[in-house]
Amino acid sequence: MAKHELVNNVDHKDLKINTNRCTELGDNLWYTLTFPDEFRAVQAYYPIFFQKEGETGQFAPVALFGFQHQENLFLNNDGWDAGYIPITVARSPFTIGTQTQDVDGKPQQQRVLTLDVEHPRVNKDEGQSLFMEFGGNSDYLDSVAAMMEAIHHGIEANKEFAACLSELELLEPFTLDVELYDGSKHQMVGLYAINEEKLDQLPDEKMAGLVKSGYLKAIHFAMASQGNIGQLLARKNKQLGLKRK
Amino acid sequence: MPNNKIQQITILGGGTAGWITAGIIAAEHWVENDKNSIQITVIESTEITPIGVGEGTWPTMRDTLKSMGIDETEFLSQCDASFKQGSKFVNWCRGDNDYYYHPFSLPEQYHQLNLANHWLQHKDKIPFANAVTFQAALCEEGLAPKQISTPSFSFFGNYGYHLDAGKFGPFIRQHCVNKLGVKHINDTITDINLHPNQDIKSVTTAKHGEIGGDLFIDCTGTHGLIIDKTYQIPFVSQKHVLFNDTAMAAQINYDSAEQPIGSSTLSTAQKNGWIWDIGLQSRRGVGYVYSSSHQNDDNAEQTLRQYIQSSTIKLDENDISVRKLAINPGHREKFWHQNSVAIGMSSGFIEPLEASAIALIELSAKYIAKQLPQSRSHMDIIAARYNKKFLERWQQILEFLKLHYVLSQRRDSEYWLDNTSATTIPADLAEKLTLWQSQCPYTYDSLVTEELFPSASYQYIYYGMGGETRPQFSRKIIDEQQQVNALIQQNRSKTAQLLNTLPTNRELLNKIKQYGLQNI
Repeated sequence: MAKHELVNNVDHKDLKINTNRCTELGDNLWYTLTFPDEFRAVQAYYPIFFQKEGETGQFAPVALFGFQHQENLFLNNDGWDAGYIPITVARSPFTIGTQTQDVDGKPQQQRVLTLDVEHPRVNKDEGQSLFMEFGGNSDYLDSVAAMMEAIHHGIEANKEFAACLSELELLEPFTLDVELYDGSKHQMVGLYAINEEKLDQLPDEKMAGLVKSGYLKAIHFAMASQGNIGQLLARKNKQLGLKRK
Repeated sequence: MPNNKIQQITILGGGTAGWITAGIIAAEHWVENDKNSIQITVIESTEITPIGVGEGTWPTMRDTLKSMGIDETEFLSQCDASFKQGSKFVNWCRGDNDYYYHPFSLPEQYHQLNLANHWLQHKDKIPFANAVTFQAALCEEGLAPKQISTPSFSFFGNYGYHLDAGKFGPFIRQHCVNKLGVKHINDTITDINLHPNQDIKSVTTAKHGEIGGDLFIDCTGTHGLIIDKTYQIPFVSQKHVLFNDTAMAAQINYDSAEQPIGSSTLSTAQKNGWIWDIGLQSRRGVGYVYSSSHQNDDNAEQTLRQYIQSSTIKLDENDISVRKLAINPGHREKFWHQNSVAIGMSSGFIEPLEASAIALIELSAKYIAKQLPQSRSHMDIIAARYNKKFLERWQQILEFLKLHYVLSQRRDSEYWLDNTSATTIPADLAEKLTLWQSQCPYTYDSLVTEELFPSASYQYIYYGMGGETRPQFSRKIIDEQQQVNALIQQNRSKTAQLLNTLPTNRELLNKIKQYGLQNI
């Protein structure tokens, strides 16, 4: 069971976070949420698609690590085999909580950093310390705090980005058909991708809007990222020990 | 001489009938910025309040809205609409809280095999609707037919809508005028003018003078300005088959903002009629349909008030305002005469037991849109076919509605005795009832194309009401056994899965209000 606590240098003085990457520490994810500000880094390694969030039906971009539940093809015995790990994964086991605090005498919702103290990454022996000897934040903790801030803004940015894509009808359902070297075929549904034909036909004034908002860059990153599907497939074939016939 | 080319279509009267008709025809024919395009004008006086009954639709409405280019999220919010997945009939069999469902989804694999044949052997263990589709279970739990991530107009369980008829007409009007090039003339009609050949030449309005047209559509409801007042086309009463001729309607607030919104029309049989109960987003619509030959108005109002009282927690008797409507059950002898067609209540009306009123408007408008004659010289051929088709449809409605009554075991009033008496049963229905004693209703029962009620609907009512069929055995039925077992197992797991994953009707409607539905 997860147990989230507000991070503080009293209760958590001696805690360390194991930042190794493996299944036992919960890295066996087949996708994770990403956002436009991160697309440049993400598209270098992972295909970016859009998915509907179950609770709202709204589109959100995701970086794909595998083809099925609990399959992360980037994990191997040495850890995570890629030059960049999306920050919604890298931030584990931290989350953002909200707390009501008095600001100038008025109660205000503040974002606070919380930690799942029951998470297998949390221990006292191995990994990154949260606090320095006399209670100051470690660089690691500061970097996590910055990540959480980026995630918060990223989620907000996603809402506007997705609304813009929906309004311009720039998304289309994408069925990912995968064929492995042994001839077995797999199909993934529930993914959406940029509709390039629609993008090409976009009137000039709409296109200008996309340039101005920076969304056009994000759209191009997402389109380019599809080249990574082939590499993901190669990882899958390799993991299964399959050779090209 | 009348202009030979059909270009100007003039619709008399707005309301649900007028605007749906305008929208369906415009979506099919109107071309923006083309002077040769079909032009549609609706003359509707916004001073005349539409009757505003007809708050239930069939699944056909999804296609109708989609074809007009209407956004489902906007429709749901503007028309206070909710999802309807079928009807629940309570107290129709015996009056001891018995019930059955007529869901919109067909039995599984309906066009591959007739599950009814197999269900007969297990009929004491599971109600027909529950054995052949997951949808009855969804309705019973008040669940939505889809999730927030399901695109507009798509579904797990087939659905239509419950809607506020008073808001629906104006909503479609706005769409027709803004998006589909329909002209709205807000005026009252004072005269109908004829050509020498008896075709309609024009209508005179109070403020806009004479308005011409090549085809006129009479959507003036009970006024019947063309079909009745101008052409005096005889009315065919069907009161000897379906006795209900009066309705009393009321609008009821929910007890709380969390009260479930029903996923089906609740239809509860009474001693002298039946009560509809539908859930919109912001209120319920409840009404009593009864036979004035069997019960007087005061008594009827009492029946309705008692029902409302027993179905709400906090309601002051004085808060209920009841509106009375006359229903003259029946239809015109024909609907398309000369260069005019009657659609909606001007063409006929029958108790709303299976919500056929709006469906019939959609079908009529669609027929005209698809078969629109290019010139007056071809119109009479299409008119004759149209009349034949829609007389058949009225017969089907009559027969199908009557089926709901004839199998009842209720004998607690003259009303039920009369309703089940053989002399009131149409010959075609009597024939089917005889046949069904030895073979299950199936697609072979449909003698016409584009049947109004599929044979599956007959199965739901016939077996829901406890109709008997002697089980049949044939090579095919034995061969199918394995497939059937798999299908029933599959239906069971699908039911369990959907019960776990679908939100309630209200939860989904609230979410749609917040996030909207995606179009893909």
